[in-house]
Amino acid sequence: MLISDRKAADRAQATYPDGTREAVRFDFVSIIFQARDGREVLAVDNVDLRIMQKEFVALVGPSGCGKSTLLRSVAGLVNPSKGDVRVNANDGLTGFARVAVVFQAATLLPWKTVLGNLLYPVKFGTRKPGVDYMERARELLAMVGLERFADAYPSELSGGMQQRVAICRALILDPDILLMDEPFSALDALTREELQFELRRIHQTTGKTILFVTHSMSESVLLADRIVVMAAHPGRIKDDFRVDLPAQRDASTLDLPEFATHVKRVRDGIYGETRGVKR
Amino acid sequence: MNSSLRPVLLPILTFVFLILAWQMITVGFQVPEFLLPRPTSIIAAALRLGWPLLTVHAAATLETILLGFIISALVAVPLGVMLAANKLASEALYPLLIFTHAIPVIAIAPIVVVSVGTGLNARLIVVTLISFFPIMVSTATGILNAPGDMLDLGRTVGASKWQRIATIAFPHAIPFIFNGFRIGIVGSVIGAVVGEFVSANSGLGYLVVRSTSDFDVPAAMVCVIILAIISVTLYQLTTIVQALISPWAPHGRE
Repeated sequence: MLISDRKAADRAQATYPDGTREAVRFDFVSIIFQARDGREVLAVDNVDLRIMQKEFVALVGPSGCGKSTLLRSVAGLVNPSKGDVRVNANDGLTGFARVAVVFQAATLLPWKTVLGNLLYPVKFGTRKPGVDYMERARELLAMVGLERFADAYPSELSGGMQQRVAICRALILDPDILLMDEPFSALDALTREELQFELRRIHQTTGKTILFVTHSMSESVLLADRIVVMAAHPGRIKDDFRVDLPAQRDASTLDLPEFATHVKRVRDGIYGETRGVKR
Repeated sequence: MNSSLRPVLLPILTFVFLILAWQMITVGFQVPEFLLPRPTSIIAAALRLGWPLLTVHAAATLETILLGFIISALVAVPLGVMLAANKLASEALYPLLIFTHAIPVIAIAPIVVVSVGTGLNARLIVVTLISFFPIMVSTATGILNAPGDMLDLGRTVGASKWQRIATIAFPHAIPFIFNGFRIGIVGSVIGAVVGEFVSANSGLGYLVVRSTSDFDVPAAMVCVIILAIISVTLYQLTTIVQALISPWAPHGRE
């Protein structure tokens, strides 16, 4: 068990007086990379952020703003150089049972069938007793309309179908926290929109905490309950606000005047300071 | 000509044309048999040697090829995985392995015979020296080529380093390993023949040496042709085995 986990457990699961609980906590996190030429690059500068349980948070910003790095630090793929990243999962959970990830590419294993790919995290992560994961995998596939493709290989699926399988794979061990790193950016516009509404529906029904990294301003507004806007060089938080839109989102959400206002706020957050400055 | 048959018929026609040209030139210019035998005398030599004799020798060579190849694969694949997975092992062993590969195997073959005797063992060592290296390098390359995002997936699902190698890097390396097998199996044929040149009393390589010392070049050519057929067949067989064990690859290609 990681020391940071134990510390988090000691802090009484970081429950607030109003009953809400923290899911992920960044305590003054800085992440420094060693570039190839030996120079140090400050990818994330002093980020202090708390993400509450069941919250759908979008991290939005230009490339190089450290949003993916921040997400990878939650997944344990990157270690913070300064500060601390804590995940408030139940004690002893490992792998995708603790934190599950959906990457930009579907990253399905080509030599496994769809079903085999769904069951891959089950081999390593914490299993709940009494759960038939084969059955659960089939239920998840049915949820995204892919039950007929259980025995197909990934190469036989379209990009959108592959990413649906990757989302199912992330849900197989029923994690509390779902990390998504620009999961729809490689898809065509129509498939992207379809999957966006689907993800929103999944969030509504499963109540997962979702940390969603994107560079699309409208995507962040359409999906998230809260938006954290980041700026680059060094990567830091510029704005952090709640999205004041109905929980139920669909195509009509795009036509709401509030939608445009929110997108504008994100845009201002990103361009605000640099717009007038010659770079 | 029917376009679907063309890829099959065209090379056959070319082949027949070349054989005919060969026959006509050797007859027309009265080329002596021991310099370049006519296709008809090669066929005659094959009939003279006879099916039983040729199969006995071909079987002996095939045994050396296959045993040698299997030993190579059994040594090279785990070694390749280890070199790719462990920096220390790689630094310690790789220069040495390159050196063994740099040794001209044909030069070392007689020495091997002196050291380990004239039996099958000497021939197997020669085969292994030739064919293990390409298999090892291809395996290591395949393991190191595993996509970073797939390995990240392995890390996030909680797989240990060796579990990631077993479940991600190794399956990913299979097409690379089979490329190594294809180079290795052709190398095994060469190794077996070289081994038989220096120490054997059976096998097609032995038959080549015996025939040429009698200036029976047509008989030697028969052996060479059989060796070529063995080589091509084993090469194709490797591809078929690959298609069978990797049904996920579209159309069974790597």
